[in-house]
Amino acid sequence: MSAENAQYLAELTDKLAAAYTFKTGKKMQRRRYKPLKQLLNDDLKRTQQKQSESSTPLPNLVSYHTLNAPPSLKPIRTYCDITGLPTPYKSPHNQLRYYDKECYAIVKSMAPGVDQQYLALRGANVVLK
Amino acid sequence: MTVSPSRVRESTEEPLPPLPVHPMVDYTLPSTPEPFQTDYQTGTPIAIDLGRSTLRLGLTTKQEPSNVFPSVSSRYRDRKNNKSLTLVGYDCFIDSSVRANVRTPFDGPMITNWDHLETIFDYSFVHLGVSSSGYVDNPIIMNEVMAPPFQQRSNLMQLLFETYAVPKLTFGVDSLFSYYYNGGSNGLVISTGHDATHVIPVVDHRPLVSISKRLNWGGNQSFNYLSSALSLKYPYFPARISNYNVENMVKDFCYVSKDFNEEIKHYLDLDNLEKKDVVVEAPFTEFIKPVKTEEELALEAEKKKETLRKLQEQAQQRRLEKLVQKEQDHVYYTALKEKLAKMNKKQFLETLRAEGFEDEADLNKYMASLERSLARARKQDIGENDTDTGPPSWPLVDIPDADLDEEQIKEKRKQRLMKSNYDARQRAKEEKELAKKQAEEEARKDKEWRESDLESWSADRRNKLEKLIKRSKDRKKLKEELTDRKSRAAQMRMKNIASLASDDGPAVSGSSARKRKAAASVTIDDDPNDTFGANDDDWAVYRDIANVDDEEAEEEEEQMILNLESELLEFDPTFTVEDTLERQFNWRNSTIHRFLRGPRDYQEDDQHQNHQIHLNVERIRIPEILFQPSIAGVDQAGITELCEDTVLRRLPQESGFSGDDSNRILKDIFLTGGQSLFQNFEERLYNEFRSFLPVGTKLKIRRANDPLLDAWKGMAKWANTQDSKGSYITKKEYDEMGPEYIKENNFGCVKL
Repeated sequence: MSAENAQYLAELTDKLAAAYTFKTGKKMQRRRYKPLKQLLNDDLKRTQQKQSESSTPLPNLVSYHTLNAPPSLKPIRTYCDITGLPTPYKSPHNQLRYYDKECYAIVKSMAPGVDQQYLALRGANVVLK
Repeated sequence: MTVSPSRVRESTEEPLPPLPVHPMVDYTLPSTPEPFQTDYQTGTPIAIDLGRSTLRLGLTTKQEPSNVFPSVSSRYRDRKNNKSLTLVGYDCFIDSSVRANVRTPFDGPMITNWDHLETIFDYSFVHLGVSSSGYVDNPIIMNEVMAPPFQQRSNLMQLLFETYAVPKLTFGVDSLFSYYYNGGSNGLVISTGHDATHVIPVVDHRPLVSISKRLNWGGNQSFNYLSSALSLKYPYFPARISNYNVENMVKDFCYVSKDFNEEIKHYLDLDNLEKKDVVVEAPFTEFIKPVKTEEELALEAEKKKETLRKLQEQAQQRRLEKLVQKEQDHVYYTALKEKLAKMNKKQFLETLRAEGFEDEADLNKYMASLERSLARARKQDIGENDTDTGPPSWPLVDIPDADLDEEQIKEKRKQRLMKSNYDARQRAKEEKELAKKQAEEEARKDKEWRESDLESWSADRRNKLEKLIKRSKDRKKLKEELTDRKSRAAQMRMKNIASLASDDGPAVSGSSARKRKAAASVTIDDDPNDTFGANDDDWAVYRDIANVDDEEAEEEEEQMILNLESELLEFDPTFTVEDTLERQFNWRNSTIHRFLRGPRDYQEDDQHQNHQIHLNVERIRIPEILFQPSIAGVDQAGITELCEDTVLRRLPQESGFSGDDSNRILKDIFLTGGQSLFQNFEERLYNEFRSFLPVGTKLKIRRANDPLLDAWKGMAKWANTQDSKGSYITKKEYDEMGPEYIKENNFGCVKL
């Protein structure tokens, strides 16, 4: 960091810190950091608990999960994994879709792992757990 | 008679003009620092539109948000000055080391890091000019995601009520504020933002949250998708493509296709690429070769020539000496053979042994190989250029030694050597002449054949060409098969190696039972009969089967193919440039080339081209994911299907609503959010709606005036109405009833 920048930024930090007079000084409770996944899981549990606690079913219960769009009922169109052009072909040994024989040559001679990266783009990769 | 192979290349069309190139620009800071507001008033509501990437902030008495900055913060410890820096917004980007530490309070659409958010709020209130001590004396209107997890709202309330002691607070969904600002009351709001896309029906100002749907695809996912797709498309791209660059590519060049299925089919056609291919070039410092002056070049060339000449001379001399030696050997052994013919058997054998041969066959073999090498040596260039001036004379050679004195004998030896040199050269020359004549004769016959019967001649050539091409293809196929250990070719190869390695047939040749038993129990590692490798020569097996001269043969084949093609090109009118092998590998015909390098040829050593990214299919593929989430592996219905279900099924089935409400909301389809800025979005949606609606249904689609700022403006507009006054939760209510207590409003803030 250049000396010029360092001084400017230090002054800026000090100036701002001095202006934080509007805070009550009451710190927010320290909370454990929750990543998105856990947050959503907790919410799901919370709504399920609410459902089970109430004697009558809650018809209009809205939560983040109920808003999720349902899966499509229409047939999906398939596209070449390499070029993105529409294609009906699929390589038998790594499940990649390919447009023509040129793409197939690439698909066939793909380095290990690269095919999974291509598949990951459309969520069809193998995930080991 | 042969056409140079370059002629095949030259006969293509005019050189095409280069495509326009878009430079990849780096992030630039705004020229002025974040402004501090001076017109702060206590009691005036503050609207905060906290977006995933940008925060918009201001007093609701204004028309526009007074501060708009990235919702990021950065903490950096400056060790040199022993100072901790806490920076927010654009300030984070002033210095590269601070920039590396930039954090966002978000994980996906949710706020997860509340410390960072607090820092951002501090910064926001300071810039608004809040200077009261111990509290922020303004009501707050904030956005939230639709139906957020309870924890989000409770934490936000806690932060604002307890840390800042704000008097009143209310929440709403940003896209609904945007709709409100654009004067909507009945409509279908399609909001496609940074992390998700929502479809929300609004009837009589009231959003129907319970039948709204969310597609988990937004701008951020698009950026990530393009980023991974590009790294797979150009795995060895020499420059770093930053997230900022990718974002710009999506924003600047992607557009919604009006008819995706038709357009994608012909996207990589040359004439379409000419219009649609976008070239983005990463910055790089060009390496320029130092240019040498004319003089230096000439000097260098001279030097090179000189050394070459010297080397050639030396080589010539060596070859000549060898040739002479061989000729002498030949003369000697021919004489020996003649002598042997006259001897009896015993003498014959003895002489042979003395000469180092086992029997006559051995001698014959040796002679044959000698003759062959002699013939080969004669064909080589042995410097016959300097023998133009007739045969020189060697007067001393034929005079017997007895008649000469010592000096003359020396001279005679010299002359004899020169004579044999000369003779060797002469013979070589003759052989060459002969070969040349033969070739000429062949060419003449070939020409005759061609002229008399072009059809059969060209058929013959074509046949040869076909065979050659097939052979080279077979070779390639074999090579490919050998890479797979399980393939037949590879198995055969292993068999060959095994049989070559075992010198005398099967390993167990002994017939005794004991031996066989022993052999049965041994493994390959301790087989006593397996002595492979004990002798170093065993390993030569691998040298034998490795095709060392494969490459050479391949090159030769290629040359032959080129020759044949050029002959056919010249004489056979039905054989055109399009038929040549080279043309069949033309980049114009290669999908992959057009995909990677656009509608132009690619020079491997062109640094500009190596730093260029071609966006073509991606331009419509990325926005298309909103319509077909399956492209990116999202198992959800696309926008069209969601709208269709909402309008035709979910809304009419909802109690208290009917198909009339559907018709009402169809008259106002409202698009907002960052991704709605894609070109053609409205047209595409119109077409899609038309595809499922009954003919004659009234349909209107519009986009927010400013999809990015209208949410904030809606908050400000609403804050000044009577309606808003009753929607606030006061600090007193919060203290009394906790975060579960909420007042519902028309902006999607519902009880969870």
